[in-house]
Amino acid sequence: MLKVEEYKHQAATCVRCSYCKFPDLNYIKSSRFSRQCPIDTRYRFNLYSAHGLLHSALAELDGKLEFTPKLMDALWHCTLCGGCDIRCKRNLDVEVLQVIETLRCRCVEQGKGPMPEHKMLADNVKKSHNIYGADHKERLNWMPEDVKPAQKADILYFVGDPSSYRHPEIAQATARLLSQAGVPFMVLADEWSSGHELFATGQLELAREMADHNIKAIKDSGAKKVITSDAECYKTLKADYPKILEKSTEDMPYSVLHITEYVDQLMKDGKLKFRRRVPMKVTYHDPCNLGRLAEPWYHWEPKYEPPNIAVGKTWRRGYNGVYEPPRNILKGIRGIELIEMQRVWDNAWCCGYGGGVGTAFPDFALWTAGERAEEARTTGAEAIVSCCPNCKDILGQAAEAKKTGMKVYDITEIMLRAIR
Amino acid sequence: MQIKEKLTKIVGAENVSDDPEVLLSYSKDCSLSAPRMPNYVARPKNTDEVHGVVRLANENGIPVVPASSGIHFYGNTIPNLGGIVLDLRRMNKILEVDLYNKMVRVEPGVTWGQLQSEAAKHKMMGLCPLLPHPLKSVLTSHLEREPMLIPKFEYAGSLVTMEAVLPEGEVFRTGSACVPGFPDKSMAEGVNPGGPGYLSYNWLIQGAQGTMGVVTWAKVKMAPRPKIDKTLFIPFESLEDAIQLVYNVQRRMIGEECLIINSVNLAAILTKKWPQDYNNLRRILTPWTVILVLGGGWRRPEEKIEYEEDGLREAAAELHIPALPTSLPGLPGIERELPGMLRTAWPEKKTYWKFADKGACQDVFFYTTLNRTPDFVQVMNQVAAENGYCIDDIGIYIQPMEYGRSCHFECSFPYNPDDTDEVAMIRNLYAEAAETAMDMGGYFSRPYGVVVDMVYDKAASYTTALKKVKQLLDPNNIMSPGRLCF
Amino acid sequence: MSIPREAYQTLQSIVGTEWVSDDPAICEADRYCSLSSPSEEKRRPGCSIEPVSTEEVQAIVKVANRYKLPFVVTSTYYSAGTYCRKDDSILIDLKRMNKLEIDEENLYAIVEPGVVFSALQADLFKRGLCTFVPGCGGHASVVANTVNMGDAPLGWRYGLGYQRLLGVEWVLPDGEMLKMGSLSMSKDYFWGEGPGPDLRGLLRGCAGHQSRMGIITKIGVKVFPFVSEELEPEGWAFRSFIKLPPNRFKWYNIRFYSREDAINAMFELGRCEIALVVMTVPPIFRGVARTRGVGCGGFWEFWKDAGPKLNPKQMDLRVLLYGIGSDKRLEYEEKVLLDIVKEYGGSPREAPCRDETNFMAADAICANVVGGRFSSEVSYESINQAVRYSKVVDKITDEHRPPILQEYNSTDWVCPYELGYIAKMECLRMASVEDNYALQEWKNDCQDACAKGGAYALVPDNKVFGPIWGNYPEKEDKIRAAFDPNHVSAPG
Repeated sequence: MLKVEEYKHQAATCVRCSYCKFPDLNYIKSSRFSRQCPIDTRYRFNLYSAHGLLHSALAELDGKLEFTPKLMDALWHCTLCGGCDIRCKRNLDVEVLQVIETLRCRCVEQGKGPMPEHKMLADNVKKSHNIYGADHKERLNWMPEDVKPAQKADILYFVGDPSSYRHPEIAQATARLLSQAGVPFMVLADEWSSGHELFATGQLELAREMADHNIKAIKDSGAKKVITSDAECYKTLKADYPKILEKSTEDMPYSVLHITEYVDQLMKDGKLKFRRRVPMKVTYHDPCNLGRLAEPWYHWEPKYEPPNIAVGKTWRRGYNGVYEPPRNILKGIRGIELIEMQRVWDNAWCCGYGGGVGTAFPDFALWTAGERAEEARTTGAEAIVSCCPNCKDILGQAAEAKKTGMKVYDITEIMLRAIR
Repeated sequence: MQIKEKLTKIVGAENVSDDPEVLLSYSKDCSLSAPRMPNYVARPKNTDEVHGVVRLANENGIPVVPASSGIHFYGNTIPNLGGIVLDLRRMNKILEVDLYNKMVRVEPGVTWGQLQSEAAKHKMMGLCPLLPHPLKSVLTSHLEREPMLIPKFEYAGSLVTMEAVLPEGEVFRTGSACVPGFPDKSMAEGVNPGGPGYLSYNWLIQGAQGTMGVVTWAKVKMAPRPKIDKTLFIPFESLEDAIQLVYNVQRRMIGEECLIINSVNLAAILTKKWPQDYNNLRRILTPWTVILVLGGGWRRPEEKIEYEEDGLREAAAELHIPALPTSLPGLPGIERELPGMLRTAWPEKKTYWKFADKGACQDVFFYTTLNRTPDFVQVMNQVAAENGYCIDDIGIYIQPMEYGRSCHFECSFPYNPDDTDEVAMIRNLYAEAAETAMDMGGYFSRPYGVVVDMVYDKAASYTTALKKVKQLLDPNNIMSPGRLCF
Repeated sequence: MSIPREAYQTLQSIVGTEWVSDDPAICEADRYCSLSSPSEEKRRPGCSIEPVSTEEVQAIVKVANRYKLPFVVTSTYYSAGTYCRKDDSILIDLKRMNKLEIDEENLYAIVEPGVVFSALQADLFKRGLCTFVPGCGGHASVVANTVNMGDAPLGWRYGLGYQRLLGVEWVLPDGEMLKMGSLSMSKDYFWGEGPGPDLRGLLRGCAGHQSRMGIITKIGVKVFPFVSEELEPEGWAFRSFIKLPPNRFKWYNIRFYSREDAINAMFELGRCEIALVVMTVPPIFRGVARTRGVGCGGFWEFWKDAGPKLNPKQMDLRVLLYGIGSDKRLEYEEKVLLDIVKEYGGSPREAPCRDETNFMAADAICANVVGGRFSSEVSYESINQAVRYSKVVDKITDEHRPPILQEYNSTDWVCPYELGYIAKMECLRMASVEDNYALQEWKNDCQDACAKGGAYALVPDNKVFGPIWGNYPEKEDKIRAAFDPNHVSAPG
């Protein structure tokens, strides 16, 4: 959460140029898929856009605006996909996403937000350490019998709520993959929710509790590397935890890798080969949390020199995300033909699930995913591959709703087919 | 004081006339429009005099009809409701040759021949329509938005800024010519047509056929005159094939002058000895010819022609066009002569090409897109045949515009003006042809004669708005009343 | 005060309740626009409405007239001057109107206001055609920009925005429909003017009305022949570019050691009719371009070193040679260019065969990265005026007060169009975010100098220029009064 002065400065720096609504213009391939911001594309009022929210933030701070029903609607429909943020950093260097996140926090502080469904997540987490309210004891029920995690290893697999409870096939594929690659790995005996959606919905107190617990558990495990198969967990462990602790990623007592980064490295080191052919035309969906939002966090105490030089600040501009490893993997599997969509890498269109939207506004999440499914269909691929359980979930629903005839896989499932 | 005396005071006695014989010559033109007598003719020599006459007319509610050329083809200078014909031919100075900006500032009486010979001295050329009559005013061509022969230039964008006496007597300069001190003491050089402010006065005055004001000078574009040329006459049996070549060539942005012309028109233009050459040429020319002039630029002209020829060959090969002839059968040397012909007026000593066959000619012209022209040819033939007109005598000229984006389609019906039956037939044919073309989507951007009412009846919303503008600019409706929809 | 309930209910019935709102947050977000004078007060609209069709727009305007409610129109919200100056205005946002058709053979597109340049350009490139993306950005509305400004460096070859207007569908301030050009008589958009006098003259002059003469709901817009090779993007976010096929394009940066030489070279390029882009490159532009993606701090680090080394006498030209239509054309253009450069003593340097900001994207907003706000003085006149007037403006900038940016060299950008028949001049002035009023003062001084020197500037101050430019504001007022009897179209 930004401190007031910085929050105001950032919001006031916006010149309302509307670039936040578009992908990198040089990368627009057609008028059909020429937008970046889901809420802007669906709801069209300027309030439903980064600059609309930034301007609202300023007006709310100045006492000119309250959290009206529409402001609440726009604010909580935002998927926090970060497209606006990196686009702005082409031109103006405004911390767009941080302003929106802070506005959410202010909304929560004033007791107006978050949405009831988000509060329920918090209740569930308090009750059973996962957002679904499922039995905490069943957290590891996904573990296949043929996989035996190590008691002590350098690698810790942080599973996350969605793969633990809703998409066990991803956790299973990851575990089998590591196992078949001969990589000893541990899982936490008492993993709690990563807190991803709590961070996203401004419920910071509880989010911090999750962070504190998980950081301690990781530290206590003695792991050198934390691996996730969930893009949301990845971003949370890598960026949100240090952020709430007012630290930088490099100062955290662990390092985190996405499974695709890890496998990509194994492939490069010649330690892993995909021997089986997987004949399939696929297209790859970049999860926001693995792409433009996946950069390390750099703690910075605001300090400016005229005219507007941010002294000592290391910027997160969206280009250091995990873009290449999943592609390297797909290209490294015989039989896979990777056909890119129009909006890819830092320009990827959000799946629609993020920012608590999948929880509170499933219809809108599905609409957003539907746009992506349409885009995927134009590639002629048979399947969409992604790296995040919630992307898989919502894109799967959309692919079906749009009658694309396309299947949706997590990349771990593809890797497992190729390695067996 | 009588009007004539007042006019005399403004322009001098020798430049005012109410002599019926003089007036008679202004009452009619080469079109089928009904003659109407003016009450006076005044021949001003400068803006002050024009201003004086317009103010006088406005104060007294007398119609004013400006006329700049020595010949008129469309009835648009006939004083429909009488009044004063303002003959601007005495204002025939080339006021400025602006070589930096490739422009020239001309008064209304400057003719194409006059302009082009001045421009040639500076290695430039005016952007001109197809073989204008030697008495035709440059300014009128631009005001009437006549299509120019070189499709790479912006259609109707050649008129840049102007000075006009508005109907209520105000002398107004358009675009950046409005700045104080123009042209000698200003930074602005009168090259921006927009404004001043949020309106484009040029556009309101252009195409108005003298209903919105009297233009006393205008700055118009020129182009560098190619140092060398290569002319191609590409013969076609079918118009569809000719069009494809033009689309292909224009997409490659190749060439200077480019037009499609049928054998009737081409023969009329190239005939030296009437009628034997004419009949002979009509027989030997293919039905359609694409004339394309490749122009060597200011530097390395040969190399420019070389690459353009390369591109042209590619364009032709795609369409399996076997040859790109640089000459015409029976007309040795015409390829060298033609670029010069196309860059000036029709010679004064020769009968105007449109009149040479039968003494008069009625044109039907409109805008369309190239791909639709074959349909229009078919329909024009049909209407002509139904009216008993010999379709072999129809001249057709298609001027591609703006890289082939659209075209000017012109159908010419030569006729004998002394044969009253033929005149009556042509009158009917003209109306029917225009109506049919309009129904098919031909766009009459500059309507004349009987076409005016057809157009404004159809363009209802435009007509309403146009009348509002006219009312504001000319509340007493003195400028060429009865000409358009007011 | 608020929009009368009855009027609001009618608006709801026109567009549906989802697409009209008087929620303060919706309205507050529509209060400002990007390119506007800081000194003008901007009111929060009484409601915002998002029609999807011309019929809806027409109905909304009729309601506005019935209840005498002011309305203001915007589209992509990257807008110039379209904000509410009166209370209880209806903000009509046309983003949902985003239909686009292309007539490939006859080189025009039919676009609604929600279509942006980059999107149109992407569809055109696939067909071997192009439009040109304005300097303000590829995310500007094609309709809004074409009826308001419409210029970009590709205009050297393809002309200015006002020339691109074809058939126009226009809801007048009183709600009546005006169809212009070929559209006046049929459903065709292919032709622009007439019939007879060209009422596009009411639509825009040097610039457009910025919503003060009703609403343009659809236009036909000319597009241009282009190379048929596929243009692929490459590079990261702010370093992204379009790779240009080297057999069709070649960039040259040319340094001239006197401004006169550079200007004369520009004139000569026009006479030789070569190239796709010709423009001067003010050092500040180069600085911003080179430091893109490193923020304000990165820019200053670069500038404090590079700035003082600049030689104020020299002028840099950037020329993009264009080998359209024939494989040998590029070779020809290069020879001619180098002949000219040699003649005027320039030093040519070939630049990478790619484009960052002319074909798809554009970066005017980037200038803000220097660390404040900027204003600009713009004119469209001859190359000669551009050079003379920019000297005057530079002097004002230097003397006005110490600028936040020590430019070390002229900031003026001379961008000729139509092979040199006309040129844009743009001088930038930087100020800190808090110093907006200094920009206004600077602007006023420029306008005074313009009036005295007989220059022709864009967006003139009516009070200064009205009396000396043929009383044009009176004429505009008369026209507006006739077409907007209830004074509802963006009044104030």
